[in-house]
Amino acid sequence: MALTILLIDTDAERAQALEDKLSESGYARVLRAEGPDMAAAVERAKPDLVIIDMALPDRDALEDIRSVSAASPVVMFAGTDDPGFAQEAIAAGVCSYNLSGVALQDVRPILASAVALFQRYRHVETELAAAKALLNERRLIERAKAILMKDRQMTEPDAYRWLQKKAMNESRKLAQVVADFVALEENQRKETKP
Amino acid sequence: MSEVVALKDRRSGPKLRIGFLRLTDSAPAIVAHEFGYFAEEGVDAELLEEPSWANIADKLAYGFLDAAVIVPPLAFAIELGSRGISQRLVIPCNISMGGNTITFAPALAQRIREKADKDGHSIPQALADSLTGDEPLPLGVVHAYSTHNLLLRYWLATAGLQAGRDVRLSVIPPARAVEALKSGQIAGFCAGAPWGEIAARSGTGINMACSDDIWRAAPEKAFAVRERWAEEHPEALKGAVRALVRAGQFCDAPENASYTGALLSRQKYLGVDSHAILSSLPGGAIAPENLSRFYRGAATFPWRSHALWFLEQMARWDLIGNVDTQSLAARVYRSDLYRAAVAPLGISVPTADSKSEGTHDAPWSLEAAPKPIATGPDSFCDGVVFEAAPAPVSF
Repeated sequence: MALTILLIDTDAERAQALEDKLSESGYARVLRAEGPDMAAAVERAKPDLVIIDMALPDRDALEDIRSVSAASPVVMFAGTDDPGFAQEAIAAGVCSYNLSGVALQDVRPILASAVALFQRYRHVETELAAAKALLNERRLIERAKAILMKDRQMTEPDAYRWLQKKAMNESRKLAQVVADFVALEENQRKETKP
Repeated sequence: MSEVVALKDRRSGPKLRIGFLRLTDSAPAIVAHEFGYFAEEGVDAELLEEPSWANIADKLAYGFLDAAVIVPPLAFAIELGSRGISQRLVIPCNISMGGNTITFAPALAQRIREKADKDGHSIPQALADSLTGDEPLPLGVVHAYSTHNLLLRYWLATAGLQAGRDVRLSVIPPARAVEALKSGQIAGFCAGAPWGEIAARSGTGINMACSDDIWRAAPEKAFAVRERWAEEHPEALKGAVRALVRAGQFCDAPENASYTGALLSRQKYLGVDSHAILSSLPGGAIAPENLSRFYRGAATFPWRSHALWFLEQMARWDLIGNVDTQSLAARVYRSDLYRAAVAPLGISVPTADSKSEGTHDAPWSLEAAPKPIATGPDSFCDGVVFEAAPAPVSF
């Protein structure tokens, strides 16, 4: 049985991955919503299932699409019989609307794929953010050391120890101390410029 | 920075995860958090910005949020399981009154204003007279279970206009409303501040009416908490209410407007121009078109008559079925929790749980202890008085 699934996700890479996976499985015909009017997209596509990224405000527009879903109201997530699965879905940031009353056992594998993919992408995102933060911290430490070495004629190890000591004295994280120090120095530089 | 660390160290008490949307009337929760009021009152609050009302509802229902700054009709929808699984909620305090605008595209707005002036009619009447009857006018509201949907429908109905026949209501998230108006997807919307002001500032829309033009004391956001959390943490719940009431006092004081506006404009909160936020904060504008109230006139009190008004209007527009509104209102709107929570603050508290809504055209004095509370007018645009008598209500 082929279900029509409308996929609403601004992360193009993730949407493509999910589309590929679902199409491969043969369960489903996957459509992607484009443009700002989600309710209109649903009316056009008449999907059995909508899968949407919870980070999008468009979900509110989908809350009011009873008119196309016959008499049955919008069903959230995977149904009420399995709150654990619904929680997993929410934690991964994916939500689904069942629009044609298709049986839970038919949508379960589809939803499970979506949840798994969203989890994987979320994981990658977190790792990326952590890597970026670390890089930024390194950059700021280098900058702070350069300022200290130039203005106060410190050696590089001394400059680093000076920053570490400052963080310890203020009982704050090195990253915060360094960020504030660089911001302050750069501000003063701007102000003293003619 | 060192103050932030000091505040963190003081934090104790149970964790309270509070969801909010990017709206001006999220102010008391943001202020209570940033000023350490929650921490002082023994609550380890965490504020979580959510992109949609649907997220607020689902995260409350599945326990990812403990509480939220919410539109009360949505709290009833969650309680009743009208849009997903149900979750028992309590509302121990109200957060704000007023603050919404009905905003139309400039050309339509001008045509209606001119017509209203010429004929001496109300704005909704002028709108009714200018509709050609070909296509329903497309208007946006922020959620089916929102105060905005109820207020807009009430206002339109005063001129005999009906959703479905004369206007087509669609749901547009507040942050998308301005863009939808600009693109012509909708001809107007009803949304919370600051979005009407943002539309006006960009020349995309003109504000035709605000909450006060429909109901001069319209309750707007409330603080909803999962009943289970409230029962497990009775002391922290009281603390959270005190923190929010104190923050409401701060946000309501005109001299604090610029501070609140600047705080809310931060990227992690509303992330919009602070001037657009200021325009509807008490003291933020000389002659505000649209004004939120956070404390004055018993704005933080969870009136059972407000709950009953919402439920009556939800039934009027078929948003809820046959429900025992009296017991539902009493179960969710918990004036007893409010009274117990604010007792240590020594503030005046209304002596009744319910009142007649819409009887005052002028400022009046509300019976309260220890002292009466100076209260603003509370009339409806159609002059109707809503009596929330505890007699059986028939729909």
